[in-house]
Amino acid sequence: MKRIIYPTDDGGVAIVIPAPEALETMTIEEIAAKDVPSGKPFKIIDTSDIPTDRTFRNAWEYSE
Amino acid sequence: MANTINADNGVSSGTAGLKSTSDGTGILALQTNGTTALTVDASQNTTLAGTLTLGTATQAVPSGTAPLYAARAWVNFNGTGTVAIRGSGNVSSITDNGVGDYTVNFTTAMPDANYSSTGSAQAVPGSYDAFFQLTSTANPTSSACRFLVQFPGTGQRDSAYVSYVAFR
Repeated sequence: MKRIIYPTDDGGVAIVIPAPEALETMTIEEIAAKDVPSGKPFKIIDTSDIPTDRTFRNAWEYSE
Repeated sequence: MANTINADNGVSSGTAGLKSTSDGTGILALQTNGTTALTVDASQNTTLAGTLTLGTATQAVPSGTAPLYAARAWVNFNGTGTVAIRGSGNVSSITDNGVGDYTVNFTTAMPDANYSSTGSAQAVPGSYDAFFQLTSTANPTSSACRFLVQFPGTGQRDSAYVSYVAFR
C-alpha cells in the first residue's frame, strides 16, 4: 500500500490516503495530481515508511 | 389516460403477450399484467410504482411526499496508527493534516461548495464526547472539505472511527 506526502504551509507534512474504492478506477499518480494542492512537491511512499506512533504527529516534517 | 405498453401473462385478460395502446396525452406507462409499474409524463417526470433494485440492493420506498436527498459522498476511516479508509463513496482520498485534522477529497466534485457536511468520531479513553468541526482555516470547496475531530478539554485528537457525509 502507498501513501502520498507533501509539505504543509506551516512546515509540517500532509499524508494523502487513497480510497480503495478510488484505486479501482484511478492510479495513485492520478489521485496525487488531483488531491495534492497545486504547486506542492509530493512523494509517493510505502505505508510502512510512515510511523504508526502518532504521539508527535504534528511535529513530523517533509524531507526531500 | 396514457400510452401503454403492457406485458400481459394472460391470466386476467385471457390473452398473453405484449400489448400496447395509444392516445394523445404524451404520457407513457409501462405495465405488467395491466398494472402500471412506471409512468413517464409529458414533462419527462418518472414515477415508479414498485421497488427499485440497483444491482442486488433494494431502494427502500420512503413514506410521505418530502423529497429524498441522498448522500453525495461518504467515508469511514481509522484515524489512529496507520490511518486507513474502511469504506467510502465518491471519495478519492483523505488527507491526514495532523492530529484530528483531516480533509476529504471528492472523486467527482460537488456542483458547488454549498453542500451540507456532517460527521462523527468514536470517543477516546478519558474523553466522553467527540465533536465534528469544520476547520476555520479552510472553507469547504466543491472538491474537498477539511474538518477537525475535537474532544472537550483535550482539543484535537485522533479517533479509531471517523465518519464524514456530504449532502447536496
